[in-house]
Amino acid sequence: MIHVQNVHKTYQTRHGKSHVLNDVSFDLRKGEKLGILGRNGAGKSTLVRLVSGAEQPTSGLVERSMSVSWPLAFGGAFQADLTGKDNVRFISRIYRQDFEQNLAFVEDFAELGPYLLEPVRSYSSGMRARLAFAISMIIEFDCFLIDEVSAVGDARFHEKCNYELFTKRADRAMVMISHDATYVRDHCNRFGILHDGKLGLYDDFDVAYSEYAKLISVSTTAYATSKFVANRSSPMEVQYQAALADEQFMFHVRRGDWAMEKSAWSEAEDEYSAALKLHPYERTYWSQHGHAARAQGKYTLAEISYRNSCALGYPLPEISPFIKDAMAHQSVTELEYPIMSYNKGVLSTQPPVSNDVLIFAKAFWGQLDVTDLELLDLIRNSPTLDSLAERMLVDEKCIWRPGGAPSALEQMSRAITGDDLSWIRTFCQLGGAGLKFANTADLIERFQSQQDLFAVTIKENWFSEWSNTSSTLSEFTAAYSDLKHELSNVYP
Amino acid sequence: MNARVSPEHNLRRSLEIQVRVLGALLMRETLTRYGRHNIGFLWLFVEPMIFTLGVTALWIATKSVHGSDLPIVAFALTGYSSVLLWRNMPGRCTGALMGNLALMYHRNIKVLDIYLARVILEFAGATMSFATLGLTFISFGILAPPQDIIQVATGWLLLAWFGGALAILLGALSHRSELVEKLWHPASYLLFPLSGAAFLVAALPPAAQQIVLYIPTVHAIELLREGWFGDRARAIYDLSYIIPFNLILTLSALLQVRITGRDVVPE
Repeated sequence: MIHVQNVHKTYQTRHGKSHVLNDVSFDLRKGEKLGILGRNGAGKSTLVRLVSGAEQPTSGLVERSMSVSWPLAFGGAFQADLTGKDNVRFISRIYRQDFEQNLAFVEDFAELGPYLLEPVRSYSSGMRARLAFAISMIIEFDCFLIDEVSAVGDARFHEKCNYELFTKRADRAMVMISHDATYVRDHCNRFGILHDGKLGLYDDFDVAYSEYAKLISVSTTAYATSKFVANRSSPMEVQYQAALADEQFMFHVRRGDWAMEKSAWSEAEDEYSAALKLHPYERTYWSQHGHAARAQGKYTLAEISYRNSCALGYPLPEISPFIKDAMAHQSVTELEYPIMSYNKGVLSTQPPVSNDVLIFAKAFWGQLDVTDLELLDLIRNSPTLDSLAERMLVDEKCIWRPGGAPSALEQMSRAITGDDLSWIRTFCQLGGAGLKFANTADLIERFQSQQDLFAVTIKENWFSEWSNTSSTLSEFTAAYSDLKHELSNVYP
Repeated sequence: MNARVSPEHNLRRSLEIQVRVLGALLMRETLTRYGRHNIGFLWLFVEPMIFTLGVTALWIATKSVHGSDLPIVAFALTGYSSVLLWRNMPGRCTGALMGNLALMYHRNIKVLDIYLARVILEFAGATMSFATLGLTFISFGILAPPQDIIQVATGWLLLAWFGGALAILLGALSHRSELVEKLWHPASYLLFPLSGAAFLVAALPPAAQQIVLYIPTVHAIELLREGWFGDRARAIYDLSYIIPFNLILTLSALLQVRITGRDVVPE
């Protein structure tokens, strides 16, 4: 058994003491597998080091009455100048194990071939990981500590590792930490959530994960999102990484993926929607969302999602069969509404996505919601962002239109006094491409002090590089100058 | 759960683990430092031998004044070998833990083991170099054999004790402050001429004698030279100074290792 009681751990840092673990207690018996979830820097690795005995708690008790491994697949313990074989020899000596037998196992398991006689320095990271895992398996411990094992090697090797760990050693205890919640869910029977130095324990994964989601929901994501509004050409990895680093996003995406596994399409659709609300310019999960919608027969929604992912740069050949299928179910063809995909041109020439439509609807129409049919219609018929903006400006719903809707001026100021002003940030990014965050914060303040969006747009000369949009806007201002007396109180 | 073990049995088990771990660390250390290329681990003592030979040759060439009628070869061999013995140990131990932090994941390996392995390796190298050169010189008739081999060994061991304790103390401190490594380099160079390697105490003016006798290495080297040359060395030393000095140094070294070990964070 491992007995952890009232453990505290503080580190001395340059900016004072950092309290990493605050009164953590748990017991782990043979056969129990504890998976620990927590954000980066929550103290997961610290906890593992304390359990392993490599580090001492500041106060509290860690008792081990079974043998505990070092953190599994941990390559750091290698001496890079030594060969793989020498490293096996070293571990065998430390733990008084039969070297020849261990070597045979490592040779067979790690599949390093002649490289076993080369210095570890010359190994690829995959080879290092394989050697590290193989060495971890040569000593039989009662309890294994696993820190991010899912990063090891290719799928086939992964399979081998899982067999060694979870099938052959099913009777052992384990403490596992991983960013991959799926891995934790599949292999653990107890779950812990480490947050603010406290460890909460659960027997049911779904309960644990929901609790975890609640704890991490305080994080804000506006910055990560707006970074990609203007620059949707940013490389896939960059955008993907930003989204992956956002734990709220990952939370929904994972639940979406698990729902897809179970063919729970509507649940998956909801989760992907929630995720994409946070990162509306992330292309991969738009196509997933499309699949979930299509499986339920929601072809309008599916087509929107597929078109979004295409417009954001998802490879067209992969996605076009699905778009065509969704269109076929709506009795239209590609000839009528061509599929527009990302091009290398400037922002105004990019095909629009649904988030752009929603932002323009708020800005130009003062309207918070757009129906799916309307949205699809706008996306299908607007090959570029410029044409979308123009189309929405001349629409009769547009409150910027002189002499349009009644008491347009009144509506104008109403449109920007909502509670959630983050959409204005996105609007600034679209119109005034290249704006810095500091500027947008300043602008939002101006809107809140009763300046209207139209006035700022004109004054800051936004959309000046969007040819159709800017000519429409100048028509508007010309018309307004005739009514100058009416406007003077809005923008002096 | 565990069968009851007698304290004696427990101690024996711990000792056995200690020996095993030290053995493994020694092998690892030797391989890492010298590899398997050309003469491999022979470098362990060939390197200090080259040092000593070079310095001996220089001293002969410049006819160094050392204030006695002792043969210069003998004087250089005993002097410079001693310097290598106590000076290289701290050099190898400062910063030693930083490079081996990952080993702390193996519960049986303690901070002290890392230092001990390096101290032992340095001791072995310096001793083999000293012995080999001494035997060679003696067999070629360049050097007379020592008059009291036990006394030579005692002086040598006292020096190694001092070097080892200092190495462990500085090693443990260097993990907490970079300053230690930075200051040790100049300090070791400045200590070299004062360490007793290049002079006989008896040859110094009385005022200077009093000052150099505060330096512990002087006592050990004097003892060693008396063992080798007998009365000709006119040795001046005080075992009741160096032994308590070494004891206190050892205690503070172990204390510092304990403090460092408590806060060590494996990477």
